Amino acid sequence: MLIPHPLLGPRDSSEFSYLGDASLMDRPDGMAPDAAERFHDYVHLRDNPAGIHRELWFHEQGDRSWLVVTRNTVTHEILGAELARDARKGGAA
Amino acid sequence: MPDLQPTCALGAPKPKTARFGVLTVTENANLALASVALRRDAGAPDLPLPGPGEWIEAEDIAVFWIGPDQWMVEGHGRAADDFAHAIAHRALGCSVTEQTDGFAAFEITSDAGAEPIRALLEKLVNVEAHCFTAGQATRTGFHHMSVFVIRRADDRLAVLGMRSAAGTIWHALTETAGRLEVTA
Amino acid sequence: MTRLSGGLIDRSRSLSFTFDGKSYTGHAGDTLASALLANGVRLMGRSFKYHRPRGVFSAGSEEPNALVELRSGARQEPNTRATVAELFDGLDARSQNRIGSLSFDLMAVNDLFSPFLTAGFYYKTFMWPRAFWEKLYEPAIRRAAGLGSLTHRPDPDGYDAGYLHCDLLVIGGGAAGLAAALTAARTGARVILADEDFRLGGRLLAESNPLEMPAPEWIAGIEAEFASLPNLRVMRRTTVWGAFDHGIYGAVERVSDHLAEPGKRVRQTLWRITARRAILASGATERHIPFANNDRPGIMLAGALRAYANRWAVSPAQRVAIFTSNDDGHRTALDLAAKGVEIAAVIDARTDILSQGSYRTIAGAQVTGSRGRLGLRRIQVTQGGTSEWLDCGALGIAGGWNPNLHLASHHRGRPQWNEAAQAFLAQEGFVPGLTIAGAAAGQGSTARALASGAEAARAALEALGITAGLPDLPQAEDASLNQYPLWHVPGQDRAWVDFQNDVTVKDIKLAHQENMRPVEHLKRWTTLGMATDQGKTSNVTALAVMAELTGQSINQTGTTIFRPPYTPVSLSVLGGGDTGPHFRPRRLTPTHDWATSQGAIFVEVGQWMRAQYFPRVGETHWRQTVDREVLSTRKGVGICDVTTLGKIDVQGGDAGEFLDRVYANAMKSLKVGMVRYGLMLREDGFAWDDGTCARLAETHYVVTTTTANAGTIYRHMEFCRQCLWPELDVQLISTTDAWAQLSVAGPNARKLLERVVDGFDLSNETFPFMACANLTICGGLRARLFRISFSGELAYEIAVPARYGNALMARLIEKGADLGATPYGTEALGVMRIEKGHAAGNELNGQTTAQMLGMGRMVSTKKDSIGAVMSRRDGMVAERRVLVGLQPVDPTDPVVAGSHLFTKGAVQDTANDQGWITSACFSPHVGSAIGLGYLENGAERMGEVITAANPLQKQSVMLRVVSAHFVDPEGVRLRA
Repeated sequence: MLIPHPLLGPRDSSEFSYLGDASLMDRPDGMAPDAAERFHDYVHLRDNPAGIHRELWFHEQGDRSWLVVTRNTVTHEILGAELARDARKGGAA
Repeated sequence: MPDLQPTCALGAPKPKTARFGVLTVTENANLALASVALRRDAGAPDLPLPGPGEWIEAEDIAVFWIGPDQWMVEGHGRAADDFAHAIAHRALGCSVTEQTDGFAAFEITSDAGAEPIRALLEKLVNVEAHCFTAGQATRTGFHHMSVFVIRRADDRLAVLGMRSAAGTIWHALTETAGRLEVTA
Repeated sequence: MTRLSGGLIDRSRSLSFTFDGKSYTGHAGDTLASALLANGVRLMGRSFKYHRPRGVFSAGSEEPNALVELRSGARQEPNTRATVAELFDGLDARSQNRIGSLSFDLMAVNDLFSPFLTAGFYYKTFMWPRAFWEKLYEPAIRRAAGLGSLTHRPDPDGYDAGYLHCDLLVIGGGAAGLAAALTAARTGARVILADEDFRLGGRLLAESNPLEMPAPEWIAGIEAEFASLPNLRVMRRTTVWGAFDHGIYGAVERVSDHLAEPGKRVRQTLWRITARRAILASGATERHIPFANNDRPGIMLAGALRAYANRWAVSPAQRVAIFTSNDDGHRTALDLAAKGVEIAAVIDARTDILSQGSYRTIAGAQVTGSRGRLGLRRIQVTQGGTSEWLDCGALGIAGGWNPNLHLASHHRGRPQWNEAAQAFLAQEGFVPGLTIAGAAAGQGSTARALASGAEAARAALEALGITAGLPDLPQAEDASLNQYPLWHVPGQDRAWVDFQNDVTVKDIKLAHQENMRPVEHLKRWTTLGMATDQGKTSNVTALAVMAELTGQSINQTGTTIFRPPYTPVSLSVLGGGDTGPHFRPRRLTPTHDWATSQGAIFVEVGQWMRAQYFPRVGETHWRQTVDREVLSTRKGVGICDVTTLGKIDVQGGDAGEFLDRVYANAMKSLKVGMVRYGLMLREDGFAWDDGTCARLAETHYVVTTTTANAGTIYRHMEFCRQCLWPELDVQLISTTDAWAQLSVAGPNARKLLERVVDGFDLSNETFPFMACANLTICGGLRARLFRISFSGELAYEIAVPARYGNALMARLIEKGADLGATPYGTEALGVMRIEKGHAAGNELNGQTTAQMLGMGRMVSTKKDSIGAVMSRRDGMVAERRVLVGLQPVDPTDPVVAGSHLFTKGAVQDTANDQGWITSACFSPHVGSAIGLGYLENGAERMGEVITAANPLQKQSVMLRVVSAHFVDPEGVRLRA
């Protein structure tokens, strides 16, 4: 696969390591009163859709950016990629 | 000067060099390196800051982009200096890290222009060799590691990889260059 | 057999070769198959199951029968298709899958047992009688099956890999591919043309007059233009074998397969081609028509007969018959007749067919049998209920053409049956960016292949925004096939469908009877298409037979899934040539050369080579060496290279806050100039990694990770920085390799370091335990000093730029000669950390908690950090096993890591399991073996005698529970 790196253009997926569902960016507040319950969901419950999926890729052999890649897990079509930092700051995650 | 004898990355007191037809591979033991990362409220450093995928040579240094808000500064012939310290003075408020010995650097030169460098690139790394022209630099996969590849000129290429794996990198570079010599 | 006239072989260059030890001569331009046929050799192999005599069946990479072993010694290569093996001088080939000679194969007895070796026999043996499987069936089947043999010797040749990028990849260099490449390359676009053959032209080379001018002439003109276009790369002998995601194609270039020995060249190159667009111009494969005993040497595809005559100037026999269900069979007869080959008859399944030459044509007839033990002698022809036998040495079968859709279907696209073309066709878009042209798209005539190739290239470039003009293409033949659907000739005797795996029409009928009807079941039950040819000449025919049996249409029956590789790819080339010591990166520590000079024994630690121990003259066992290294360190001073620990530079205004969130314990409160032990948890609450965190300046920390986790912890910290808390002002970069770091441990450590530092005050008052500083040593060398201890002794770690590591090691040993300075390796390091009760990888195995490590209270409740919340889960808090020290009651007893712990006298079963031993060693300090382990309620059981069970070695040992700190439990030494 080719990952369309937002800064470097298409890069071979072998340069990346894969983490999974981008919802891992939505880490609950560990000091909140309901933290135990929310962390249970955060750590253990994730969607694994056959279809469009927002997921985290790390450009380990490249610029060390974490990317949020939107990919169709059935066809491997990639619909977009952005720096996780930007996705996080933009509140899109 | 400290009274300790430094060792080159390949283990010898002197840098190694090897020639394969029109290609020469040389260990660059005198390259000083320091990384510079912008802090949130840092002012602009007194350094050229190339964009993603680029490498710029300035008067006494060269700089290439290594990540968002992060660059590597090269000082040729300055490995014995406290290069990071010198760069920190030009990048006040930035995060500067000494990287000189983090990497082994190999310079590859061609006596026959760009073509042998392009042919070598095709066998070394998965970059689009035709588009990887002078002034481009990238980090990419290389024999289960990652290396920085810098096209310093049409006929010059540099490969920087982790110092501890210098032997593996040297083997891969010289073996590939040697095979190109046979098929050239 | 003598050569025919013409052909594209170089008669001025003779090449000698051997087959089964006998010498023959061929010419440059021959394949092994064409050269063997030219020497009258029709018998080339034995079939897989029944060991039936087999000859060449095709003239290309689809060959099911003529598989041979090439070369000898370490270069021996099994299962090579003789039809694509380019002849070279000295080629040494042997037939395979036989016991005895090829003409008298003892295993041919299998043919008599064929009723027992039908479809599914392999699976049926699984079932009954069970006891026979392991002792009888499996060894017998394994010995008898399998074609060629491996050498079991290392491959002496080199292989490499490379990466190519292009606008357009053209797969196949026949009429369509040449037209496509020409159209595209003239625009200046980056084009790659890859063809598996050693000569461009594809089927153009196999036909007598496909173009208005001689085809080789036209091709030579094209090749001359190709050579002048620097934007075009022509790759001969290159098979594109797989279509992967996003325009990535796998290709193997056979760089020196056509040479006796590669010399300094690589044997093959694995190319990863990234193409913006691709055109599949892979042509078509002819299909045969199964009839009784249709597998004799001499029976082959009609198009192959024509190719051998036109390209290689050879015919397998002087008298040849053709069995056809379309017009193409007649073309073969005409070409052969023109070359002086006698045509016994053309048997056409269609009625109302006129003879096209001065030979006999039998319309409305079928071939119903054959004779000839080691090669075809006669065929039986049946027309309207009457049969006759015709003498002939070869039979060409023309059953129509199957487009080569493999690559177009590698993304699981299911081809559709096209009634008009009488063939499966791939749909556009099966592989995004890939279009299909020529015979692969059902455009089988030369004229249509040329036109569709050019048009496909024009359209592909248009999609990239490049305008291409269509080239002037020569006038070309434009014949139609007029295909009549005849899938097999009914009969009682076995009619082979898949030659390589010996699957017959009967087997398909049996599979149908046994309800293995869906094609994927049919395939596995009969092994149809599962041989090295992947059923290129058999799959479509087989599923058409199944369609006939089930009464479904061919389209409803469907095809099996196509998977890479298109043709076999050697494991050597997939490995890319990195073998032996180059199998993976080898990382050397900065003191490697010094250690080597001292005779150190090295151990692989991940990619690192670390000094394991430094034997001295007279030491005959590694334990002697390790014991000495431990005792010398504890008595004097020991030095160990600890560079391999991961080092990460953490800077920024929020560096402390960031580390507070990453580590379970507090780091923001760490004073500048001090170091703190740090424990990282995974988000699920389990302990993950430990190390030290040194604060060099207000906004500058350096943290260490374990050697094994250096990469993953760095990735995790970047995840935290970029994905969780991008608002924090923090920057990370790895500096593992930049600094050589040496541990200097032992009561004389301070004295030794005083001899190298440049006037730095090392006294306990100014530089206490857990202090750190920047300083210079040896006359101005910048260094970092950390007063940390893994051994329990007074200890420091000193870091200098890596290039000085080797010299510093030598200097310390030299300067410390009178202080007992001793280098120690990873073994002594391990012994000393066990003696001190420090956790390492064995204790941090991903199943243990901070509480088990005795560090539960380190997990701060005053702040949020990774894993903190989950570490307080009920199950984690209820965990009662904690780390303890273990010492044998009888000091001569062994302590074995992995042993399980039980209350003394308890039944040793899982219900009574009380924990396990994580680490063990011989402790020269204690004078016996010792261990660390997790024990239920361990903290309250000091002094208790328990049992350690090691059932694997039938051992059961009494151990006393003690503090994990065997050395200096009060920590006096390290604070000295």
